[in-house]
Amino acid sequence: MTDTYVLADAPALLARARAGDLTAFEQVYRAYEVPVYNLARRICRTVEDAEDVVQETFFEVCRSIHQYRGDGSLWGWVRTITASKALMRLRRNKYRDADEFEEELHRAPRNDSGLRMDLEAALERLPETSRAVVWLHDVEGYTHEEIAGMMGKTVSFSKSQLARAHTRLRRWLGEEPAA
Amino acid sequence: MTHLTLEQLVQLREPGLEPGVSSLRAHLAQCSQCQAEASRLDQRSARLRALPALRPARDHWSALERQVKVERRWRLVRRVSWIGLAAAAGFAMMFAIRAAGSPSGPSRQIAIDEAKARSQQLEQLIQSYNPDARVTDGRTVRVAGELEDRIALLDQELAAASRLDPRGREAQVLGLWRQRVGLLNALVDVHMTRASAVGY
Repeated sequence: MTDTYVLADAPALLARARAGDLTAFEQVYRAYEVPVYNLARRICRTVEDAEDVVQETFFEVCRSIHQYRGDGSLWGWVRTITASKALMRLRRNKYRDADEFEEELHRAPRNDSGLRMDLEAALERLPETSRAVVWLHDVEGYTHEEIAGMMGKTVSFSKSQLARAHTRLRRWLGEEPAA
Repeated sequence: MTHLTLEQLVQLREPGLEPGVSSLRAHLAQCSQCQAEASRLDQRSARLRALPALRPARDHWSALERQVKVERRWRLVRRVSWIGLAAAAGFAMMFAIRAAGSPSGPSRQIAIDEAKARSQQLEQLIQSYNPDARVTDGRTVRVAGELEDRIALLDQELAAASRLDPRGREAQVLGLWRQRVGLLNALVDVHMTRASAVGY
């Protein structure tokens, strides 16, 4: 995974945060609030859920900052916490599972002929699980193994969800090859 | 000619050579239609990465800061409360040991009276603090409740001891009263510490 968000003078900031300095935590919050919210919002269905995930993520960061050993980037650590919290919220959501996706998959074609959306709308329309997989894999750069681990599913499940998501995006974006 | 499915194209983007992948790659290398589809797949992923970041509508820091401060207070209260319980146990043990070697005869009765008087003072202190009228967190309530339960058990033992032969009960009664003083001291600590922790 690439580290898109780098904190200036991270070691000193982390030392202060580990000592319980709230101004240091605020700096961490200010640095990552947008990417954390963006990731949460891309996975969660509603703004309210995403905002809750932001709150839960930074609270967890504050509580667990001493567990961050600096092996990877701070953003990578914060991002994994965010993804885990957002996926946990999906699991609590009754509309999140693969059965619902299958149901959607069978239902969708009847209305999709001639449909052409922009990418943002098409992404928003994807079922939650496949949207989470396509975002985590194609945008955040997680591997199928990592996604499977976070979702408590198999690698095959992650791969299958990714292919299905692209199948639907292709259709909704009007990118299907001519028959 | 059978072209590659989207699932197969997605699979080809992954590193590694799973069984059958080499034949898929061979097909892709010579099929312009599948190459075009693979290119569209890559472009779609690139467009996803290029989507503008969604920004939160409101600032969460002040709420988060409050939450962290509350959590820290709770941790402090929990730590101090358990210290209070441990201290109570220590006091009880210490007084029990001291009771075994306590004075005899009239001096023992004086010691009992002193413990009773100290016990009353501490109870008055708790009453004047009026913990029932104050905002209390769950952990403080639980720890205070445990101490009060132990005091109630001691009171039962004191009542039972008063029915024994007067010649043999003074040492036991003195030990029980001293344990009671120790538990009341701990209860005062729990209430007062909780109060300072939440800003009273």
